[in-house]
Amino acid sequence: MNNVKKIIFLSLLVSIGLALSIIETMIPLPFVAPGAKLGLSNIVILITLVVFGFRESITIGILKSITFTLATGSVSSLFYSLTGAILSCIAMYIVYRNLSKVFSLIGVSIFGAVAHNFGQILVASLMMKNIRIFSYLPILLLTSLFTGYFVGLASIYISKNLKNYFDNIFLYKN
Amino acid sequence: MLTKGDKILIVSIVIFSILSLIYIKNFAFTNEENYISIQVDGEEIKKVIFDKKLIGKTMPIETEFGYNLIEIGDQKVRVIDADCPDKLDVKQGYISKSGEVIVCLPNKLVIEIKGIGDDVDIDYMSR
Repeated sequence: MNNVKKIIFLSLLVSIGLALSIIETMIPLPFVAPGAKLGLSNIVILITLVVFGFRESITIGILKSITFTLATGSVSSLFYSLTGAILSCIAMYIVYRNLSKVFSLIGVSIFGAVAHNFGQILVASLMMKNIRIFSYLPILLLTSLFTGYFVGLASIYISKNLKNYFDNIFLYKN
Repeated sequence: MLTKGDKILIVSIVIFSILSLIYIKNFAFTNEENYISIQVDGEEIKKVIFDKKLIGKTMPIETEFGYNLIEIGDQKVRVIDADCPDKLDVKQGYISKSGEVIVCLPNKLVIEIKGIGDDVDIDYMSR
């Protein structure tokens, strides 16, 4: 029973992340470089990491990337988003688990955004066979500060409420 | 909401980004827009990317078709010696713009200046 509930919650989270990603493509970022995104779906992944754990959040990251590719039909973006999602998940997990006294969720999410951008640049340089694409990294890092900050802020507010809610549900039924 | 660690993280990322932006703008990838493509009998045998260290350097090109000596200047290149009879390539002097060529027909030698990324119209598409 508990397991079924968990599956349903996780699939709901995947669909929320997918919806956020699709909405995000409709929001242009007016001031920054191409390729920079708000990373709204990172909120879902971060919250899953906080509320459920590492395995669930990386599952959601991978599933979200695949379903996003199915929704938009741009296959090469699958490699970018998959690498970014996996790397950012691992980075956020490591920071959240070991350094959560030093960094709040904002710091964790900034680490995730930095890892995400690094992974995407890595994939881009491999696909283009051109290491010079890394000169684009500082610009993306600066934008990832802003997006990571707001993702972290949103995650703090959401997880504060959700954690109690989920805990109650799972403990009550157990 | 922000802990001290967060602030240190943000400041260090900003500093790192700005420093590397300055580094990229000033030191990396300068004078790399064009390169010299040396072709013999239709095949590219050598690529030389312009570099400040290479100014004034000469480079002999000896093939089965003949001998030429090229000199690399500041974003320009010329042939200074050749064993072909008319020496038209030597008389042509420097070439410097992307797309310009020096041809030595007897030796089947073509020296062309190419821009990196000339070959394709679109750099890359990620969709």
